[in-house]
Amino acid sequence: MRHSLRAEWTKVRTLRGNTWLAVGIAVCTVLATAGATAAVSTAQCPTVTTCFEDTARLALRGVWLGQAVVVVLAVLMMSNEYGNGMIRTTLSAIPRRVEVLFTKAAVISGIVLATGAAGAVGSLLIGNVIMPANGFTPANGYPPLSLADGPTLRATVGTVLYLALIALLSLGVTTVLRDTAVSITAVLTLLYVVPVISTFVTDPEWLDRLRKISPMTAGLAIQATRDLDRLPIGPWPGLGVLAAYAAVAMIVGGVLFVVREA
Amino acid sequence: MVTMTPYRSTVESSRDGFPQLLLSEWTKLRSVPRWGLTMLAAAAATILVGMLLAAGAGAQSAGGDGSTAGISPQFRDAGSYVHRPLTGDGSLVARVATQERNDPWAKAGLMMRVSAQPGSPYAALMITPGHGVRLQSNFVTDLPGSDSGAPRWLKLTRTGDSVTGYESADGSNWSKVGTVQLEGMGPTVETGVFVASPDALKLLRQFGGEDISETTNLGKASFDNVKVEPARPQQLAPWKSNGNTQVDPNATTFSLVGAGDIGFYQFATDKTKTILSGAMIGIMALVALGVLFITTEYQQGLIWTTFTASPRRGRVLAARAIVLGGAAFVVGLVASFAVFLIAAPMINQGKAAPASLSDPQVLRGVVGTAALMAVVAVFSLAVAAIVRRSTAAITTVLLLLLVPLVASTALPLTVAKWLEAVTPAAGFAIQQTIMRYDTAIGPWSGFAVLCAYTAVALGVAIWRVQRQEA
Repeated sequence: MRHSLRAEWTKVRTLRGNTWLAVGIAVCTVLATAGATAAVSTAQCPTVTTCFEDTARLALRGVWLGQAVVVVLAVLMMSNEYGNGMIRTTLSAIPRRVEVLFTKAAVISGIVLATGAAGAVGSLLIGNVIMPANGFTPANGYPPLSLADGPTLRATVGTVLYLALIALLSLGVTTVLRDTAVSITAVLTLLYVVPVISTFVTDPEWLDRLRKISPMTAGLAIQATRDLDRLPIGPWPGLGVLAAYAAVAMIVGGVLFVVREA
Repeated sequence: MVTMTPYRSTVESSRDGFPQLLLSEWTKLRSVPRWGLTMLAAAAATILVGMLLAAGAGAQSAGGDGSTAGISPQFRDAGSYVHRPLTGDGSLVARVATQERNDPWAKAGLMMRVSAQPGSPYAALMITPGHGVRLQSNFVTDLPGSDSGAPRWLKLTRTGDSVTGYESADGSNWSKVGTVQLEGMGPTVETGVFVASPDALKLLRQFGGEDISETTNLGKASFDNVKVEPARPQQLAPWKSNGNTQVDPNATTFSLVGAGDIGFYQFATDKTKTILSGAMIGIMALVALGVLFITTEYQQGLIWTTFTASPRRGRVLAARAIVLGGAAFVVGLVASFAVFLIAAPMINQGKAAPASLSDPQVLRGVVGTAALMAVVAVFSLAVAAIVRRSTAAITTVLLLLLVPLVASTALPLTVAKWLEAVTPAAGFAIQQTIMRYDTAIGPWSGFAVLCAYTAVALGVAIWRVQRQEA
């Protein structure tokens, strides 16, 4: 296991594009957060005291963009090997296929947990810089975001876990589909389809149902720190929905990986 | 000794004209089953998601969405109207004594219309708190008068098929506001005073989302010195109200209170756009197709053969764009007509006017969806020719199209509208058939934004493919 871990790590580390993608996860998250927090101010609320803005969630909104980079990195980790035939070398060196898939999952999770944590914490920091300028000040009932606060800590840790689960979902889907372009399109469609069409679903019951089963909207419930009863699904059950998607993708991918010719 | 005749192909050499290029690109598209399947997936997603959205919206709108029967959902013909018939040419004069200034577009004034039926052709001369005196007709014509507010004298005169509006400070020195033509006026028209007021848009940010609601604004105004000229006895049928309120048949002063507007209705449901929104999902398959149609050749090295066969690379790219765009347009046209024909009956419940292909706006939305799919496919092709990597090209194009649409669910409306107007996602505007409070950009201008992005990308791609090693 240690050898296969090292092999996977070497493969990931030595591709120059991967370094950029890993950095891109954190950078895109922080930049998108900067944009989102700059767009929202208490002036849009009826009154400052009835804003009920979830500042932690707002500051973690950057993962909407950052997750796309996670998808690309995770898909490439598997599809690249199929694209250039490297997979046959890999499987000759380590014939235990389940082990290959597990190490890939472990390596991509490790990378995403590290860069995702950097992105999430960076988002909180930049949110703390931008949001007070838009009226979200301690005087108005919005103390600076801090990891010492229980719900904020849960939202931040949950966001990092969310990104790791997105990586596993992408890895599983790619193991099934094998092709880079097809896998990226499939995963991004799966993630964004419900948020995109939700503006056209006028029936609140339908909308609620869709948001409960969509991996992105359900999974991101973990970012909520207040008014949890307004969520379509609770924070941890929501992340559980995404985890179920990731698990199914990994299991189906794993079975096919073992059964199919490479 | 045996003499060998060198092999000569029996196929005649063809000219390298543009039609041949088109044919060869078409052959490439046609002969790979994967491309056909992707197009099929795009059409299927468009139809299925459209049906799903129509089913969801149909159940919701069965109760009606506030618009009046028989008129386009884009307009409302509400408010309070007290009227009596006028036969032949003549005038209506009144002074608007007071008006509640609760909305810049609150309306109080005089109206002549072909019949009392909502939606019938009308001419209305009015005072507004924020936009002065206006002469409006048939929901779309809007002629400005002076900036005055109440109290103000107004006069509406019918001469044949035309109606002219005048305003005055004292009831004796009149200045003309404008003239409008009304079609379908018989010998007798309905004439009277009216009050209307648009519903107010309330945008409130709460709980991390934008709460958008329409609140009723009651228009209130009082009129005096109301008289019909010339005062022939047979014209003096009693005043009638469009509500069920009793009106004194010989009154010359009125106090009216009216809810609802006469004019654009910015909260209308865009049924056509809802049905066609499945294209947002179908389009993702076309993005992948557009990208792969070019990156696959780079990957397999087939691009060498292509460029050897036709060394003018820019023309190869142009031919490929035309073939792909044409194919995507045809597939899109089939899908959008199919989803419209299937889903329109599902969504056409309730009393609002049904979405129908005979409406030019609806037809533009349906055909425009096919054009949108074609242009997005070409845009993806161009981006792929620039960056040459499927991964980067697909991710870039998908995010450019999706992020602005997703952002609208969390960001303030103004920011979301701005994002939707300046990114390639503006192209989706071609699907809208009515203007709403959240309309980011007009249908044609939005489509033009997407086309501009595509033209620039295609230009850069052609320039790049000519300069660089394959």
